[in-house]
Amino acid sequence: MKKAIALLLMASIVLMSSFAGGSQEDVVAADSSATTVTFVFADGDAGAKESINEIVNRFNSSHEGMRVEIQPGNGGNYTEFVRTKDSVGEFPDVVEMRGEAAMYIRAGKLAPLPAELTDLFLSPMVIDGNVYTVALAGENTNGIIYNKAYFDEHGLTEPQSYDEFIELCQTIEDLGDMDPLVVGGGDLWHLGFLFNKCWDDQVISLDPDFIAHCYSGEKDFSDPSVKAAIEELVQIMAYAQTGWASTPDAQITTFLVNDMAAMMYSGTHMFTQILSADPDFELGWFAIPSPDGKVRLVGGSGISGLAVSTECQSDPAKWEVAIEFLKFFYAPENYGIYCDTLSAIPATKDAPVSNGLPVLQEVITATGEADSLSPMWNSKSGINELPPDFRNFTYKTAVEVLLGQRTIDSACEELNKTWAVAASSFNPVTGQGIN
Amino acid sequence: MLGRKSRIDKTLVAFISPALVFYLLFIIVPTVGSLYYSFTSWDGINPNVNFIGLANYKEIVTSARFGNALKNTVVLTVFISLFENAIALALAILVDRVFKLKNLFRSLFYIPVLISGIVSGFIWKVMYNYSFGVINAMLKSAGLEALMQDWLGNTHLTLIMIGIVLVWKGAGYYMIIYLASLQSISSDILEAAEIDGASAWHKFTKITLPLISGAFTINFTLSLINGLKVFDQINVMTDGGPGFTSETLVYLLYKVGFNEGRQGFGTAVGVVLLVIILVLNTLQQKFLRKREVQV
Repeated sequence: MKKAIALLLMASIVLMSSFAGGSQEDVVAADSSATTVTFVFADGDAGAKESINEIVNRFNSSHEGMRVEIQPGNGGNYTEFVRTKDSVGEFPDVVEMRGEAAMYIRAGKLAPLPAELTDLFLSPMVIDGNVYTVALAGENTNGIIYNKAYFDEHGLTEPQSYDEFIELCQTIEDLGDMDPLVVGGGDLWHLGFLFNKCWDDQVISLDPDFIAHCYSGEKDFSDPSVKAAIEELVQIMAYAQTGWASTPDAQITTFLVNDMAAMMYSGTHMFTQILSADPDFELGWFAIPSPDGKVRLVGGSGISGLAVSTECQSDPAKWEVAIEFLKFFYAPENYGIYCDTLSAIPATKDAPVSNGLPVLQEVITATGEADSLSPMWNSKSGINELPPDFRNFTYKTAVEVLLGQRTIDSACEELNKTWAVAASSFNPVTGQGIN
Repeated sequence: MLGRKSRIDKTLVAFISPALVFYLLFIIVPTVGSLYYSFTSWDGINPNVNFIGLANYKEIVTSARFGNALKNTVVLTVFISLFENAIALALAILVDRVFKLKNLFRSLFYIPVLISGIVSGFIWKVMYNYSFGVINAMLKSAGLEALMQDWLGNTHLTLIMIGIVLVWKGAGYYMIIYLASLQSISSDILEAAEIDGASAWHKFTKITLPLISGAFTINFTLSLINGLKVFDQINVMTDGGPGFTSETLVYLLYKVGFNEGRQGFGTAVGVVLLVIILVLNTLQQKFLRKREVQV
């Protein structure tokens, strides 16, 4: 009996091995006929994952001999994921770059993209005469997304000035039905949206090259404009919900659709999320005017976007597939899937016809009429590029001020100290740490 | 004689060498490598590494952020060491004295240990949530709205709230060690003390505690090391915030090294942390070993 069982087991193993071997050979045969490039993108957002997968599938089925293979990041910390890929020698051929793109460019990991591709874009970011990344979308324009039904019910109107915005917040607070503003301060990058608005209003409005002037030593963070930026942030954040410091970005939609908050300050990517949570929600949008009456919005192209590795460039066959894929990705009929799913503002000259929401059209119109349109303060390159660790330090210091742990003056001092250390090893004005 | 000694040495070397090779390759070489990178401004990506001498260590000494992380680490470690051991000992005594369902209680108290740090962090993060968490919901339904807090957003409470999760998760593990030690005490000694008229308190303080001092040494050493290297729960629950409120040394090392592109500085923090652990552990061992009693 034992012998019979043993024989049966052995036969099963042999049979299974032969099947396994067969299938593996089939896969190898299929793969070997195509030139494959690996592709990594931030797949934490379900919409991004779904739409990019769809475009890749379209490419693979329409391009014989070419194949794009997505390597899933499973939604974790994307910066770390790319860094890990790099450290184990698996830096992808095509890769989505975030704010750290400049670091990879300096490390010689990213290849300059050809004009046949970059010419498709409205305003690609040029670094040292080359374009290394092509934006997935125009910079995510932030503004107030609000509960239109609640506004209509109480006769509230969109503010035409900064003071009217503060009055509006106070009116909603006085009504007592819900918090005026929901902020996902548990995620620092979310708080960065509001910080950037205040920074643009108070600092960039006076000196667009403030960061460069800090590198050159002409200015520092004790500048009155920096203090004014933090004061503006404190004034707006006074209307945020209790518990904002521990509320993650992923939860703010719940506040809005459940009548717990009337407004949120975020990007256009939230439109789809809000309507997924409540298809009947009446969305409204407006830009918060600056205290000087002008409208400054985040827009245009930053340094983030898709890039191709230098290793891929060194293999002509792979390079051809990578560039062909990117051209295919940004063709209006394909790129439209991405833009519609994420309510993204197209970055290409030949923009896809939007099947998106009317509110998105309002945003696009507002960006066209804005007094100034610029990337987030941490998405700039060249002489205004921030030192690698400075953004988060600033946000955390701002949180300390907002929670009453330190004064604005002491926050500015801390920023100066950290800046001095950071700029001693990274200074694009003097070239320190760049070459 | 010499020949015999030489043969023994070769045999020893043969047995030790596989483990030694792995130890050298995966522990010693990276540690020495880290020491080198701590003197550089390496960003973790660029193949060009700039030697900057003691600049990272100088920054550590002068940086308010490092000082804050050190303070948070000490607070959290002391909190964990004290409460984890106090609760573990109390649970062990309770389980030791229970006659029925002893295994059930032991398993129940041990269950949190089996949950991963990440998962326990997520569970408690949801429970602590100001707007949707069960703790505030219970307070609200009990009419105690005044006591509702932003448990992870209140800078005075954040570290304690993280500490509670760590104690909840770790106490069961230490309970098992105390329980094993308690069960090894001979009933003869306790009976003799009882005949001599010793009260329950005297039996506990004069007999039980000295005889389980070996378990104290192990548990305090483990909780000290665990406290110094807490990562999972902070990562999931607060990301070191709000502000820098819950940023510990290990978390600072991770943030600057892996998120902020300052691998050189992060490595220097790691080296300092290694020295702190070695010093504290040596001191603790010396102190606790003196108090151990052998029967």
